[in-house]
Amino acid sequence: MTQQSTVGVRVAARTPTPPGPLGPEPTPQTVPARRIRVSLALMLATALAVLLSAVHLAQGTADVRAGDLLELLLGKGTERAADVAVASRLPRLLAGVAVGVCLGTAGAALQSVARNALASPDTLAVNAGAFLAVTAVAAAGISLPVLASAGLAFVGGLAAAGLVLALSAGGSGPTRMVLAGSAIALALSAVTATLLLLFAQETRGLFAWGSGSLAQIGFGVLRQTAVLVVLGCAALLLLARRLDLLSLGDDAASVLGVNPRRTRVTAVVCTVLLSAVAVTVAGPIGFVGLCAPALVRLVAPAVPGLLHHRALLPMSALLGVVIVLGADVLLRASVGSVRSVAIPTGVATTLLGAVFLVVLATHHRDSGPARRAPAARSARLRSRASYTVLTGAVLALTGGAALLGSLLGDTTLLVGDVVNWLSGRAGPGVSFVLETRMPRVAAALLAGAALALAGATIQAVCRNPLAEPGIIGVAGGAGVGAVLSITLVFGLAARGGLQADRLVLVGVGVSAAAAGATTFLVVLTDPFNAVKAITWLSGSTYGVMFDRLVPLALVLVLVGPLLVGHHRELDLLALDDDTPRLLGVRLVPTRLLLLGAATLLTAFAVASVGVIGFVGLVAPHAARAIAGSRHTRVLPIATMLGATVVSLGDTLGRTVVAPAQLPAGLLTALIGTPYFVWLLWRSRGARQAWH
Amino acid sequence: MNLLRTVVALVVAGLALSACGTTEEAERTDSGSDDLGTAEAGPVSVTDARGELVELDAPATDVVGLEWNVVEHLVSLDVMPVGVADVEGYSDWVQVEPLDDSVVDVGGRGEPSVEAIGALAPDLIVTTTDYETSVAEDFEERGIPVLVVESADASAGIGQMRENLELVAEVTGTSGRAQELLADFDVTLDEGTQAIEEAGLAGAPFFMTDGYLDGGRLSIRPYAEGSLLSDVTEQMGLENAWQVKGDPAYGLSETDVEGLTALPADVNFLYMANGDDDPFEKGLADNAIWKAFPFVQNGDVHRLPDGIWMFGGPTSMSAYVDAVVEALT
Repeated sequence: MTQQSTVGVRVAARTPTPPGPLGPEPTPQTVPARRIRVSLALMLATALAVLLSAVHLAQGTADVRAGDLLELLLGKGTERAADVAVASRLPRLLAGVAVGVCLGTAGAALQSVARNALASPDTLAVNAGAFLAVTAVAAAGISLPVLASAGLAFVGGLAAAGLVLALSAGGSGPTRMVLAGSAIALALSAVTATLLLLFAQETRGLFAWGSGSLAQIGFGVLRQTAVLVVLGCAALLLLARRLDLLSLGDDAASVLGVNPRRTRVTAVVCTVLLSAVAVTVAGPIGFVGLCAPALVRLVAPAVPGLLHHRALLPMSALLGVVIVLGADVLLRASVGSVRSVAIPTGVATTLLGAVFLVVLATHHRDSGPARRAPAARSARLRSRASYTVLTGAVLALTGGAALLGSLLGDTTLLVGDVVNWLSGRAGPGVSFVLETRMPRVAAALLAGAALALAGATIQAVCRNPLAEPGIIGVAGGAGVGAVLSITLVFGLAARGGLQADRLVLVGVGVSAAAAGATTFLVVLTDPFNAVKAITWLSGSTYGVMFDRLVPLALVLVLVGPLLVGHHRELDLLALDDDTPRLLGVRLVPTRLLLLGAATLLTAFAVASVGVIGFVGLVAPHAARAIAGSRHTRVLPIATMLGATVVSLGDTLGRTVVAPAQLPAGLLTALIGTPYFVWLLWRSRGARQAWH
Repeated sequence: MNLLRTVVALVVAGLALSACGTTEEAERTDSGSDDLGTAEAGPVSVTDARGELVELDAPATDVVGLEWNVVEHLVSLDVMPVGVADVEGYSDWVQVEPLDDSVVDVGGRGEPSVEAIGALAPDLIVTTTDYETSVAEDFEERGIPVLVVESADASAGIGQMRENLELVAEVTGTSGRAQELLADFDVTLDEGTQAIEEAGLAGAPFFMTDGYLDGGRLSIRPYAEGSLLSDVTEQMGLENAWQVKGDPAYGLSETDVEGLTALPADVNFLYMANGDDDPFEKGLADNAIWKAFPFVQNGDVHRLPDGIWMFGGPTSMSAYVDAVVEALT
């Protein structure tokens, strides 16, 4: 088996195929004719970018409109119009152009290098890594010169990309990479959010900027980073020929004299440089790097030759510009120039990009071999006795976490205090502390249990070890939003019988859109309370009372046994599509039922404590690692481990910076990340595309 | 598995060895410990911003403040709070009414520590409508009364500030002191108004803002009509030149540099910042739009002193009036 067989069809879609039986063009074309078409396409894209630039220039908070700018061009405009154009509109436009070029080019190159239509600075966590680096420096109270800041963003982005690529190397297709990347991005964002919370004063403007904004107070930043943009793009263009050959496969490329490894490394370094520049200029502007190349591929059938990198890279850069400026123009046109000042451009591009991801996903055909069951590396089957001991041990661990949670906090208590309280003999001081603390401990345990159970179910149903409750779209927020996005995910993924991969990809897209929409709402309704927004977005047990936990406990009690009762179906669904069918399991209704149960668990957990990531991802893995892959055992063990992890996260959040607090969701992510990275590292495929 | 067993054993052993005492004596009878020290005796009862009746047997003395405006009210009323959310931040931003060293930090303003507050055993918690109401109810259920005041109201401006101060004064038995403070503020305001009129500035346009700088981006946050600062400045006889509506509570809006082109040429540009960060002087020094503004060229841009809380009480507002007079005359 060579690499080609696993990526065959996917690559074929974007390899510069000569017109032939596979190509969409019925008639072979001569080279000059093809060139003319490519140049025509480039010219058209340029025209579109120019047109949008003109509209973009005419928008803004000052009363300087198209007419004034036109007069300016004719040399008879007012001085004020000239100032506004030079000191505000042009820097903003150039920032948009720079970001579009950087991200468009970077996205196209990354997709070629990763041989994966879903690779982008976002899905590879480059943006998250770069932004974390920038935030860390701001939190330390250091204000760096622009180039140093860009350098730092570069280092952060490179580290994140390296990690994601290494972890997904040789893995089973794009889904794994997107999920690994989204998970790493989530973890990095959790660190960023923690810094934003802890250093609220130092990092004040960064929350809004965290979604990307084009506003500039001058050419300073642009002038200093321009050289990097040019260098990065030029280097990638020089690599164009080699990237073309590389897409024929490593073996073919080597035969033709291209060193695959060196080419990849150089290309990745260039793309990360470009992404870092984009982050330095405007913050992480989402999904442009994913959309721009996708658009190129969309028009490519009509323009043979467009997928050669010499054309692909500039075309993608141009469309990147079109997307960034288009999103900005749309935003201003829809909410007005004055209001849109407060709304980050990145939110608009993320919403736009998420739609693309979903569209790509619904047309996604994974041609890889039969997917591996989530039990990539699970423990051997244990005897009944040893499983009983194990269950006891895990239960003890959960109890220990709960006890620790009740002892630690702002005031440290001792076991005797808790005993006294339980028997009603504690003094008012201890009673007060425990009356506030115990609901929080219970909330953490219940939410952890529910999310872990949901995660184990979703991983089995999606047949993907990297799926988690977040991907069914509840990450965006509780209530109506969650219901809406879950419906959306199911509805979009339902075509073709809830195919596992499609569900995952649609879920990632919808989650991103929901997160974007939430930021949009926060910025629009309560723009001056970043701390509140971050806390709310990252899952916290603050202020939870026992009565608010009753619904969650009920759902857990009702749905838990239902899922355990379906352990056989879960075991079968986790294998492949055929086995359950052969054994008489009706795929679609069973999937729907199980996913519905998982959704219920997740929705109630989110409604009680907000969004707590990672636990639904990590706990099932840990369970399989110690208890084997049979769901009669995975489900209870995962539930207990999930409760343990969230409880520990909550305890730490209440303790480490007391009397200040950090949301449980952030600390759960911080605890979960190292384990998750190790897990991915261990389960890398045997084939190593990077060596 | 062995590892797991060891871990569990260690956890259990550790707990057994170290944590099995109590932090208080068992069966402690709760003999009233807080009977001493009440300023103005007699029970008080007020209706707060939630419409809840807050009833106390005696005016509160041990008070925890969870938002800086009510903390300023408390300090100015000579009721030094026992606990305050984000003491460090308060000390940076509200220098006009400093806290004693005895004041305990109870955590951030977003999620102040319920345990830390409980440990102080206050007779009252004062907070604003920005705070989560379920937590306030939880405190009340456990015997700690909570007074919730309106965070701000862009349709009331100074009126809301007065109302909040009077409410806080009523429950702390310091209404007399509150009237003094308000009277002092009125005097300062009158003097300020007079000074503005004498300087021939009556009816002159002003613009009040703060802002922050991040790399190449400057967010400007103007105080629109209805905000407390705008209301005070208008009382002094000046006209707010900023026409954009602010948010319904604080009366804040948001804009960028070119948005400032809406300001008239003769505007008096006032702004606040904190410490060395001067977003306007630092961020806009080379900006062509900024440099071309007549008010910049005429030197009508004034940074007001630090430590005046923009959403504060009579002390902050008096300091603000003085600062505006100082800057403009």
